[in-house]
Amino acid sequence: MPFAATAVVNDWIITAASMVILAVSWNLAASAGLISLGHSAFWGVGSYAAVLTANKLGLPLVVALIPAMLIGALLGALLALITGRLRGIFFAIATLALSEGLRVIAVMTPGFTGGGEGIYINPELRIGAHWVAAIMVVGALISILVTWMISRTSWHFAFRAMRANESAAQMLGVRPITFRVGILALAGAMAAFAGGVRVWYGGFIDPGMAFDLQITILAQIGPLLGGIYTLVGPVIGALLSVLLSEAARIWFGAQGFGLLVYGVALVLCILFLPHGVWGGVLQLWTYGRRRIRGKQ
Amino acid sequence: MTLLPQVLLDALLLGGLYCLMAVGLALCFGVTRIINFAHGEMIMLGAYGAFLLSLHFGIDPLLSLPLVALGVALIGGLVFKLCVQRVLDAPHVNQILLLFGVGLILQNIAVLIFTGDERSVTTAYSLASDQVFGMMVASGRLIAFAVSIGLTVGLIVWLRVSEMGRAIQAVAQQRDAAKLMGINVTAMYMVSFMVSAALGSATGAAMSFLLTITPFMGFHILIKGFAIVVLGGLGSVGGTLIAAFVLAFVETGVSYYMPEGGGWAEGVALAVLLIVLIMRPRGFLGQAVDN
Repeated sequence: MPFAATAVVNDWIITAASMVILAVSWNLAASAGLISLGHSAFWGVGSYAAVLTANKLGLPLVVALIPAMLIGALLGALLALITGRLRGIFFAIATLALSEGLRVIAVMTPGFTGGGEGIYINPELRIGAHWVAAIMVVGALISILVTWMISRTSWHFAFRAMRANESAAQMLGVRPITFRVGILALAGAMAAFAGGVRVWYGGFIDPGMAFDLQITILAQIGPLLGGIYTLVGPVIGALLSVLLSEAARIWFGAQGFGLLVYGVALVLCILFLPHGVWGGVLQLWTYGRRRIRGKQ
Repeated sequence: MTLLPQVLLDALLLGGLYCLMAVGLALCFGVTRIINFAHGEMIMLGAYGAFLLSLHFGIDPLLSLPLVALGVALIGGLVFKLCVQRVLDAPHVNQILLLFGVGLILQNIAVLIFTGDERSVTTAYSLASDQVFGMMVASGRLIAFAVSIGLTVGLIVWLRVSEMGRAIQAVAQQRDAAKLMGINVTAMYMVSFMVSAALGSATGAAMSFLLTITPFMGFHILIKGFAIVVLGGLGSVGGTLIAAFVLAFVETGVSYYMPEGGGWAEGVALAVLLIVLIMRPRGFLGQAVDN
């Protein structure tokens, strides 16, 4: 036992860490101009791949995460290839359709996925919540590390160029499709990892849970709240959003308030804080320094 | 092949509803160039409006439809004034996510007020049906079809004939030129956003006696709306109408002829959406795709 934590704390850690992974993954795709409205697709295939392979072959979680991430990466790469020339709105709608389509397929193939009734993980394979929390935290740290490493390479400039204008980026020698495949495979693998781990916590998955629109909402709320296209922003935003929803749940209690708070946060951030909390802090910082320098 | 006429009739009736469902979305995109991700919620609000008026005052959904449409148009105007107007020139990302957030807010306000329970409106005609030439004609569907087609035709006539309608068309064609002609572009944006919201709520009211009403109904309807609008070509009202019937015919065909078709029919819109986006993003009659 790595640390003794109560059930509530474990729950918070798992939620927060999975939100961080989702936010980092979404932000990674968004930083290349690929706005995903279907992150639940990656999350869902990750969950299903982990559960199905584990049940079939008797794999423990850590091993079952490998096929989950592979399938997530494959789906990301496939999405990049088939949506080759789609941008902006069109890409967003395509991802939305992908996630919903996967849900319908999962419902309609009961022989493979357990159908609408869902599927349980073999109880012998389940592990304690603190282990699930630990694995999720490790995953979150690795995904942060990976995006940090990317930000140190020239990829980061290619992304920025693609986001601003893909045709112009192409003129400058950036091959968009290569980066698209790479970035979506990476983002897909991350979200699939989170989905795979999360299912070990609940022990059960059905199509509605796996391809829930809420996952998509959660994935985008972190970066927007914290600061889109930045390294630190999504992490801050993800943690902040957990805090917000917990606070809403404790204060108001009723079902629906958590998501209402997310909606309000989303709208307010886009209207008044387009660079998120982290962007706001940075602005305040430069403003403060300028003021001090001005006085000297 | 005694089944075929029935399939065609069902598809036709469904297609009428799809027209109304998608035409609001198409109008909003055609004029403002913003995809209204909250359109599904406008439909949901319309359905709840009809439900409440029917429950408390016993008003028939068909009679309450204008009232509901007016109310939701005002909500649409409020959303435009408070939010959309500020992001008209912002990147598409911001517009998409903003309206997504607005939809989320409306949806969860509905959860708080109405709870997540499933509701339905029962009228004398919602369960009645007639036999015509050996085909079952459900009265409710026929009425919803008539209302939808009536409103869709009304919209097209309004856009063609009235001065404001023509101003809106001018804005849709060339925003800057319209501005030079003395058209208040922002006002036209607001009018089309409100009309779009009203059409969405009318769809909801017309569906209120056919479907179960929940706060979450908007999302699935929205995706179907997207499929139709994308298939028809973004921004083209004519293309949208063709696409609405195409989708209705394919869906109905799948649900009748495929084993377990009822479930797979759900996926038809999604498959259509993906295939069109990949093969021909400009749809039947749309303009070239730019960002």
